[in-house]
Amino acid sequence: MAPDSEPESGGVGASSTPADAVGLRTHPLTAVTTGLLFSLPAAAALIFSSLQNGRLPDLPWWLLLLIPVLLAAGGFVVGTAIGFVSWFVTTYVIDGEEVRVDSGLLFKSSRRVPYERLQSVDIAEPLLARLVGLCELRLETAGGSDSRTSLKYLRLADARALRRVLLERADGPGTDPEPGYPLDATAHDAGDGTAPARGRRVISHVTPGRLLLGTLVSLDLAVSLVLGVGVLVALVSVDAPFAAFGTAIPFATVLLKIVSNRVAAQWDSTVTEDRRGLRIERGLFTRTTQTVPWERVQGLAVEEPLVWRRLGWARLQVDIAGYGNEAGDGSGESTSTLVPVADRERVLQIVEHVLDVRLEQMERTAPPPRSWPFAPFVWRARWVGADAVGFAGVEGWFQRRSNVVPHHKTQSVEVRQGPLQRRLGLATVEVHTPDGPVDADGRHLVAETARTIALDQVERARRARSRPHPSPVDAP
Amino acid sequence: MVSTDIFRPVGEDWVPVSAALATGRRLVAMPLLALPAVAAAIVATTTSSTVLRLVAAAAAVALVAVIVAAWTWAARNQRSWGYAEAEDDLLVTSGVLFKRLVAVPYGRMQFVDVSAGPLARRLGYATVTLHTASTETAADIPGVPTEEARRLRNRLTELGESHGAGL
Repeated sequence: MAPDSEPESGGVGASSTPADAVGLRTHPLTAVTTGLLFSLPAAAALIFSSLQNGRLPDLPWWLLLLIPVLLAAGGFVVGTAIGFVSWFVTTYVIDGEEVRVDSGLLFKSSRRVPYERLQSVDIAEPLLARLVGLCELRLETAGGSDSRTSLKYLRLADARALRRVLLERADGPGTDPEPGYPLDATAHDAGDGTAPARGRRVISHVTPGRLLLGTLVSLDLAVSLVLGVGVLVALVSVDAPFAAFGTAIPFATVLLKIVSNRVAAQWDSTVTEDRRGLRIERGLFTRTTQTVPWERVQGLAVEEPLVWRRLGWARLQVDIAGYGNEAGDGSGESTSTLVPVADRERVLQIVEHVLDVRLEQMERTAPPPRSWPFAPFVWRARWVGADAVGFAGVEGWFQRRSNVVPHHKTQSVEVRQGPLQRRLGLATVEVHTPDGPVDADGRHLVAETARTIALDQVERARRARSRPHPSPVDAP
Repeated sequence: MVSTDIFRPVGEDWVPVSAALATGRRLVAMPLLALPAVAAAIVATTTSSTVLRLVAAAAAVALVAVIVAAWTWAARNQRSWGYAEAEDDLLVTSGVLFKRLVAVPYGRMQFVDVSAGPLARRLGYATVTLHTASTETAADIPGVPTEEARRLRNRLTELGESHGAGL
């Protein structure tokens, strides 16, 4: 096997830039991984379609076995060929200002990612890639649905070395302890690759038992289970097994989504920190490592489903520009989870540690009782507050969400009022953050108060922007 | 219960948008509404079926009501728009039934767009749109006079740079 990340001569754009690394290719085994990705669905699709007919086709048993195997093999060959071409035409460049990925055989595309625009650098190890010892490096930038640039697949040690270089550069000039760190020196430096946790402090670790228990008692799983089983039993009892089968599929999909987002994706979730930022490591099948510089945390949300409140548990979500746009592939929810389940006290400590906001001690402004027509019962759970560092908006009764936005991350502030609100003398204030789980709104407050809160927030944000924001972790 | 207008100006007065915005919107909406109204009126006067005549007459009356409403809405909505360049933020207000006031710090602006369709160019106004890292920031100001729109964009871009645009 040829060593990966070997600079290939004659790569795209090799001449012009003062490059640290030019025309690199990802690992050659990428093609094989793509082949594997093609082969399994090909066989699975056949098996699924023949099962949908309700019975097996009338064929000898060895043919029944042989056809999926042949299909898988065919898929593998086709996939490997496609994978090889796409691997061959994809090169990446890492220079003084940016990462550039050039790809495409007929339709050439070139993606530039300036270091200062990097929001997070993530490493994902999908199960299949893990089998051949490879991983995917994801560069997250803000904005748009296509904000993720990924390099797949690289050797794990190389991806880690690359991540270190990128994060150092994303940190900006001046703070870099080893300026101009050359890529070539790190690409084969096993130091970072073999000891990723060196110098990092663990701030949260969730055991699989706790995670399973937390998921089991969370309300949405319980409700969908009860509803699903109830409908099934009802349909079977009135002797409609086909309708039962039809309704079972959406419920099973919902359950599967909850389990894959909350259990498989959050398996063995560990959050560590260092001077530069946070790192989340998680996942059962696809092992994901997300690294987020401190400055890129746009806000935090503490979520407490009904049953968890009784137990004193909470979930912590983080808002990173770019993460919120990934809802399309269904991973949006899991990528933005910082702590899947922990004691509420611990979660609040983490909020205080990361943002320096004391949620419990904030002075609260609640909506007046006359706001009840907009949210019967639920209005009691709502309040907004602010302290020297952050703004908080709390809402929800089935699932209480406490959204916290540091003042200097306030993107814009809005006051709005509809006709019914005007009649009742109410107004809503919204503090805007990049798309994500955090949504700090104060709904249906007393109108004049809403205006005051909004204008005060504008002022607080202005003052906060001119202050420096040191890392929560002191330099060693 | 409502004592003062919570959408009153924060500092100086709101800068209004061009009255041509109402004209432009009327020019777009009127043919779309007037043609079916005329068609309904023609059907109502020419058809021999009583049922059809009644239905067409009702439709014509309803469409005329919509035309009147749209005519006045265009003016009221145009008057509701206003913006103000504060020291560190751009303030925008709008809406008749659903009112709002948005404050966008210059330092949080990612980029500023100016766009104008053929009709808007004829009537001499453009839409200025501010983008921040949040898609919730719906800060587009329609009907800004073309010259003013260009000035505003340059000014905002300049202010964004001097206030350290970033996330």
